[in-house]
Amino acid sequence: MTAAETNNLTLERGMFKLMNVNAVIPKGKMTAIIGPNGSGKSTLLSLMTGLSDADEGTVTIQGKPLDNYSRSEFARVVSMLPQSKEQMPNITVKEFIEYGRAPYQPFFKQRLSEEDQRIVDWAMRTMRILRHEDRMFHTLSGGEQQKVRIAMALAQRTDLLLLDEPTTYLDIAHQLEVLDALTVLNRQKSTTIVMVLHDLQQAAAYCDHLIAMKDGEIHSAGSPKDILTRQLLREVYEVEAKVSFEGHYPIIIPKRKTIEEETTMLIVTNTSQIVKGSGEKLIERFDRIGQVERMEGFLGLEVLFTQNISEYDEVSIVTRWTSREAFQGWTKSEAFRESHQHRKTPDYILNNKITFQEVRIKRNPITDEDNAQIADTETA
Amino acid sequence: MNMKQRRRRRQVIMILAPVSVIISALLGIMIGAVPIALPDIWHALTSPVQSPTDTIVFDLRLPRVLIGLLTGACLAVSGAILQGVMRNPLADPGVIGVSSGAGLAAVITMVILPQFSYLLPAAAFAGAFISSIIIYFLSWDRGASPVKIVLAGIALNALLGAVMNGIMVMYSDRIQSVLPWLSGGLNGRSWHHLSFMLPYALVGLIVSILAIKPANLLLLGDNSAKLLGQKVELQRLLLILLSSLLAGTAVSVAGLIGFVGLVVPHAVRLLIGDDYRYLLPVSMLGGAALVTLADTAARTVFDPVELPVGILLACLGAPFFLYLLKNRSNWR
Repeated sequence: MTAAETNNLTLERGMFKLMNVNAVIPKGKMTAIIGPNGSGKSTLLSLMTGLSDADEGTVTIQGKPLDNYSRSEFARVVSMLPQSKEQMPNITVKEFIEYGRAPYQPFFKQRLSEEDQRIVDWAMRTMRILRHEDRMFHTLSGGEQQKVRIAMALAQRTDLLLLDEPTTYLDIAHQLEVLDALTVLNRQKSTTIVMVLHDLQQAAAYCDHLIAMKDGEIHSAGSPKDILTRQLLREVYEVEAKVSFEGHYPIIIPKRKTIEEETTMLIVTNTSQIVKGSGEKLIERFDRIGQVERMEGFLGLEVLFTQNISEYDEVSIVTRWTSREAFQGWTKSEAFRESHQHRKTPDYILNNKITFQEVRIKRNPITDEDNAQIADTETA
Repeated sequence: MNMKQRRRRRQVIMILAPVSVIISALLGIMIGAVPIALPDIWHALTSPVQSPTDTIVFDLRLPRVLIGLLTGACLAVSGAILQGVMRNPLADPGVIGVSSGAGLAAVITMVILPQFSYLLPAAAFAGAFISSIIIYFLSWDRGASPVKIVLAGIALNALLGAVMNGIMVMYSDRIQSVLPWLSGGLNGRSWHHLSFMLPYALVGLIVSILAIKPANLLLLGDNSAKLLGQKVELQRLLLILLSSLLAGTAVSVAGLIGFVGLVVPHAVRLLIGDDYRYLLPVSMLGGAALVTLADTAARTVFDPVELPVGILLACLGAPFFLYLLKNRSNWR
C-alpha cells in the first residue's frame, strides 16, 4: 500500500530539471529523500504538495490524483514543513500552532473548538514545547522554532507529513529530539513521514525507506541497508567512502578527495667553461657570493665540477626556485648586488652560459596504502 | 513580557480604543470657533426645536466628525490589510500610489464626467484597485520587496499626479468645484457627503472583519498558507479589492490623505503585535480617532486659518515613515 506515488513527474525550469520521477512512498513508514544540493529533493516535495505544478506527470495521494483534491481537503490529508525562509509574524507559540487547525475551520472563523484545543495541546506535547506555549515565537532559539513549526504541521492531523530539511541548522541534540518525536508520531499514529535529510546516518537510522536523488532523477530507492553503499556515495555524491553498518546505524568514513597538488619549479643552471685547473678558484669565489640560501623561494643549490672534458674544465652552479619571480628577487637583492659589484669577470672564465628550465611537479597526497585499505573493505 | 501582561495590555487597549473614539468625536463637536458644552450636544441631538447652537452641532460639526471617523477607519484598515497582503511594512495607500489612483479616477469623474458624480466612490474604488494591482505586479517577488514597493509607488504617484494636473489644466474652467476636495481635508463636508460614502464604508469595514483570518494566514507566507488549505491567490486578490474599496471610499470624500494607513496599524502593532484579530479592530478605531482629532486640531489650532487635515497628518506621518524605512525595512 502506498501513501503517495508520482508518475513520470517532469519539470524543467531553466537549468534545473526533474526527469520522469516515479517515487513511491510506502504507507505508515518513514521515508527519507537524500541526495546532493540541487538534486531536486525539495522540488519533488513541492510538486507532491501542489505548491508548484509539474510540466508532465501525475501525483497520487492515497489513491486519489492530486488535482482532484481541493486545497483545504488536501490540507487535511497532507501537511508539510517548508524550509524556513519566511519571516514569521509576532505571535505566541500557541497562536502559531493554532493556525494548523485552519483547514478544519470555516474560512473566516478562527475560534478553536474543544477538539481543536485538544489537538493543539497534543501537538505541543508531542514536540515537547508545552512549556513554551505562551512565549513569543521569535524569542525562541532556532531549534525550538523548528519544533514549533513542526507542531503546527502536526496540528493539521494529517496521515501524511512531509518535512523539507527538518534538522538542517539544528544542533545535534535538537536534531535527535526532532527525529525521535517524529518516530513516536509514526509509531503511535502510523503517520506516513517523508523528509528531506542531509545526514545520511540519521536517514538510515530513523527511516525505513530511502529515496536517493541525483540530477533531478531517482538514482535508487529501497531499505537503508540496500541503498546506502559505497557505490551510492560515489555515484550520487561523488564521494569515496567506507560504509559499514553497526545495527541500524551506518558508519560512513569519507576518504578525502584525491586532489592533485600541482606546483612549478624554476631551475637556473649557470655553466662556466674555465681554464683547466682553475676550478678550485671559481668555487672559492662562489663561496663569497652571498646569502642565496636566505632568499625567499629558494629551494636548493648544487655545484657540479667536471674536469678533463677537452681543453677546458666546466663548473655548473644549479639553483632551484619556486618561481621565476623568486629568482629575480634574488638578482635584485642587496646581497647579490654587493657580491657582483666592483668585480671583473676573472680571465680564467672562458665562456659563461645561463639556462632556465621551468618544471611542473604533480603530487598526489593520497598514498597507495589508503587505496589498498579501501579495496580491502570492498572485498570484505 | 509574559503572557499575562500581554493579555492585560490587549484588554486595556481593546477597551481604550472605543473610548478614544468617543472622546475624539465629542471633542470634535465641542471644540471650535463657537465652543459647545456637553449638554448642548445632547440637546441638539434630541430636541426638536433648533437653536443656533443646535444648527452648528447638527449641520456642521456632527457630519464632519462622522466623516472623519469613517475616513480614518477606512484608511487605517486599508493600510493594515495592504501591509499583510504585500507582506511589507511600508504599504500605505497614500505612499504606494493607491490613493493617487483613486484620486485620478475621482478627478476624471468630477471634471470630465460630472453627470456621473454620484458614482464618485465607485470610481475612486476602481482607480484604487487598478493602482494596487499595478503596484502588486511591479514589486512582487515572494513578498513585495520594501525597496521596490516604495520606488514603484514614487513612480506611480508621479505619473498619476502628472495626469491629474494635466486634466486640471485642460479643464481649468471646471476645477473650482474640485479644489476643496483636492486639498485633502474635511472642510465643508456635510450630510450629503456622509450619505455618499456611508454604504461603501460600511460594506468595506464589515467585510474587513471577515478578512482577519486570511490576513493572519498570509502572514505565514504563501506556501504555508497554501499548505493550510488557503486559496492564496484568490484571497490576495480579494484582500487587495477590499483595501482598494476602503481607500477609494476615503479618498472620494476626504481627498488625498496620506500616512493614516501607515501610522495607525504600526502603532497598534508595536502595542499588541501582528495578530489581525486585535490589529484590525484596534486599527479601525484608532484610525477613526486619529483623523477626527487631527481634523479638530487642524481647524482650530491656527484659527482663523483652517488647515486641511491631510497636511497635519503628513507632518505626523512622514517622519514616522522615515523611521520605519530606516529600522524595519528588513521585515520580510
